[in-house]
Amino acid sequence: MKVRTGLLKWGALGLSCLALGSRVAVASVAMFASGVVFAGAEAAAQDSGLPLPPAVEKELAAKASDVTEVTLGKNMLGFAAKFMNGKDEDEAATRKLIEGLQGIYVREYEFDKEGDYSMEQIEQLRKYFETSEWTPIVRERERKGRESTDVLVKLVNGESHGMFVLEAEPKELTIVLILGPVNVDDLSKLKGLGGLGSLGDVQKDIKGKKGGEE
Amino acid sequence: MRRFVFVLVCFVAMLVPVAVLASGGEGGFNGVVRTLEVKYHVHATRIPFLGLISLVMGKNAEYGVSNLHVAEFDDFHEAMDGEELNSMVAQKLGPEWERVIRETSRFGEEQSLIFMHPEGRRMGLFVLDAGGQELDVVQVSVDAEHLSDKINEYQHHSHHNDEGD
Repeated sequence: MKVRTGLLKWGALGLSCLALGSRVAVASVAMFASGVVFAGAEAAAQDSGLPLPPAVEKELAAKASDVTEVTLGKNMLGFAAKFMNGKDEDEAATRKLIEGLQGIYVREYEFDKEGDYSMEQIEQLRKYFETSEWTPIVRERERKGRESTDVLVKLVNGESHGMFVLEAEPKELTIVLILGPVNVDDLSKLKGLGGLGSLGDVQKDIKGKKGGEE
Repeated sequence: MRRFVFVLVCFVAMLVPVAVLASGGEGGFNGVVRTLEVKYHVHATRIPFLGLISLVMGKNAEYGVSNLHVAEFDDFHEAMDGEELNSMVAQKLGPEWERVIRETSRFGEEQSLIFMHPEGRRMGLFVLDAGGQELDVVQVSVDAEHLSDKINEYQHHSHHNDEGD
């Protein structure tokens, strides 16, 4: 999963700055076009906002060679919704979805070598969500134990009010937490938001695995 | 007379750290750039009259872009502590800015930070991107709906061009 994807909208911002004709502006704004942009966060800028055990998050970040964090709080999701004018049916549906969400959190950790994170850390993350509120919908373990996928949904009165995805590979760990009314089919709608392009892949992955279990 | 000189020297001696602290306490875009300059002994390249250009852009901008600040550091060789950089930027920008994206590599060679700040119907964006031997800092204010309309026009135009090919 890579954050630097799907950021066409911000390319236009780059264009406006390119009009300045400055090499510095060109160089600086190039990152907009290259896709380093956009998303949103919770209240405190210093806090990650992700409701995970902070110790585990810190340990993983310390061991990882590359860390990507996307934090979209309610404020920022509201702003993102403004980019969808609602004239198009799909955009209107996505806008409605985004406006109802409380937050989207993505953490991706890439490691230099296998074993840089422990299975105990993965277990700690799983246990954190193993409460009566969260229901597992996908639980896949590879025989050797180094690859696994967990998808849990938060059910309130039979309706989904959150989704947690934990995907572990030997040298990569991805955590996605979406708070608010959301289901698997909605993931592809969210991929239009900058930085969340890979949610579409997560959806395919989940659907594939759910299909496999049936 | 000697007492007067003594008092004067004491006054100046007290004033120096106060001035240093005051400059170090500068916040926002300039605070971040100054802190980077002091900490890593580098000098930022800025665009002359950017404030004026930004003001004109703000009044006439087709894309609703204004309040543009840009600083570029060339030949930036220092490895940065991602956590320290993140804390510094967050502190300088203040709590009203929210960090939305952070990409960091363990050895500090690549760092990206994006902070956002709602400004009514506009949104302030602060981007710091370091990679290779260059570090860029950009701050800009955008009008989402205005910008979105323009982008849709481009997409529509591009779609028509594609169909024509």
